[in-house]
Amino acid sequence: MKIENEIMAILNELTGAEAGELEPALDLFETGLLDSFGVVSLFVEIEERLGVSVAAETILRDEISTPEKIVRRVKRAAEC
Amino acid sequence: MTPFSGLLFFYLLGLLLLPAVVLGLLEKPLKHYGLLFTVVMLAIVFGINGQLHLLIVFYLWQAGLCLICSRLKSPSRALSALAVLLSLLPLILIRLAVFFPSLGMFGLMGVSYMTFRALQIILEARSGRLRRIPIFTLSYFLLFFPAVSSGPIDRYRRFEDDISAFLNQEEYLRLLRRGVFKLMWGAFFALGLSTLLWNLWLSPLPDKGFLPAVSYMYGYTFYLFFNFSGYSSMAIGASYILGVRLPENFNMPFLSLDIKDFWSRWHMSLSAFLRDYVYTRFVRSCLKNKRFKNPRTASYAGYFINMAIMGGWHGFTLRYLIYGLYHGLLVSANEALERGWKGFRPFRQKWWGQVIMALATFHLVSLGLLIFSGRLI
Repeated sequence: MKIENEIMAILNELTGAEAGELEPALDLFETGLLDSFGVVSLFVEIEERLGVSVAAETILRDEISTPEKIVRRVKRAAEC
Repeated sequence: MTPFSGLLFFYLLGLLLLPAVVLGLLEKPLKHYGLLFTVVMLAIVFGINGQLHLLIVFYLWQAGLCLICSRLKSPSRALSALAVLLSLLPLILIRLAVFFPSLGMFGLMGVSYMTFRALQIILEARSGRLRRIPIFTLSYFLLFFPAVSSGPIDRYRRFEDDISAFLNQEEYLRLLRRGVFKLMWGAFFALGLSTLLWNLWLSPLPDKGFLPAVSYMYGYTFYLFFNFSGYSSMAIGASYILGVRLPENFNMPFLSLDIKDFWSRWHMSLSAFLRDYVYTRFVRSCLKNKRFKNPRTASYAGYFINMAIMGGWHGFTLRYLIYGLYHGLLVSANEALERGWKGFRPFRQKWWGQVIMALATFHLVSLGLLIFSGRLI
């Protein structure tokens, strides 16, 4: 649960989303909540707070388009 | 001989793709024949153009760099930077031919696209994600014929997955149908519509005057779209027949609502490459080392660097440099507007807001392409 909570907290800070707006399946790119800068900031924060490093070149937009997908991607990186 | 143009080329392409179709329908692996196809097509096309020797030297240079980098245990930053510079060297020399005409003798078709393929291997080898890559896959990836002259720019891991995947008859047949359609659709765009636009719209326009320049701006925008997206489509179509799904390069760019949206729809493989290997790396390094007081400054600086490289990649001339900086400015302004104007998102969601934004984006893009065309400078 730590990863989920931390990622949701980072996403809330970065996107400035309103309370309850960040549904697990919400498309962050289509809604304009996340852009290229947001993606880099997100993964820099994840690295700093969770110690999980995910290289930008290995990330496909489809893999991180929603909060639940981001959690899945980070968990996969944490297992490696 | 230019790839994907002229009857002789299409005759050869059809003839040499036939064995791939037979193998695909028999559910046999396509990669060995794919490499043979690539070598034969390159030998014919570059041989006819008198550039085969240059291609061989270029291939040995890039493949050597990639193999060395992927076999080093932990290459230092300096060593990786040197490898990147050495990989870029042929492209830089060719681009410098505008200042030193004697360098023109090194001019090699497709050098920029093949350089991008080598560069990503060198960059990923440094971060330890590509280790001891097989020479077969490396050669096939670096030289892959369909994308040699006009992209799209593929990624190594994606390419490797494709050539290792098993396709049953039904899957291959679906890919084959789409491939043939894309080849024909691309030919209609690049050889039909863009040629018509050139002959009937752009060629007859007078060289001077404001109105002819405005007309040229619109005509050239459509001409370049049909030409480039057509060639991309043909490359993607041919790759499908070889069992490789080259990434798409265009996605209705004239429906873009803003400039950032435009770069996710126009020459997508180049903008994604630069985003991942230039912008992201630069911004990440700035954020981690806290180089700017305001983190967003890193993003704006990243866009300018990204777009300047994009301009310089097309050529070391003033018009390409201005084109790059112009887009750096537009993307940064786009981001600043997005962040600074609260009404941006609601405006973007209304139908009339979308019409206004699409029209404004189209005109900003067209002006950029007028600079790119060289008619102004």
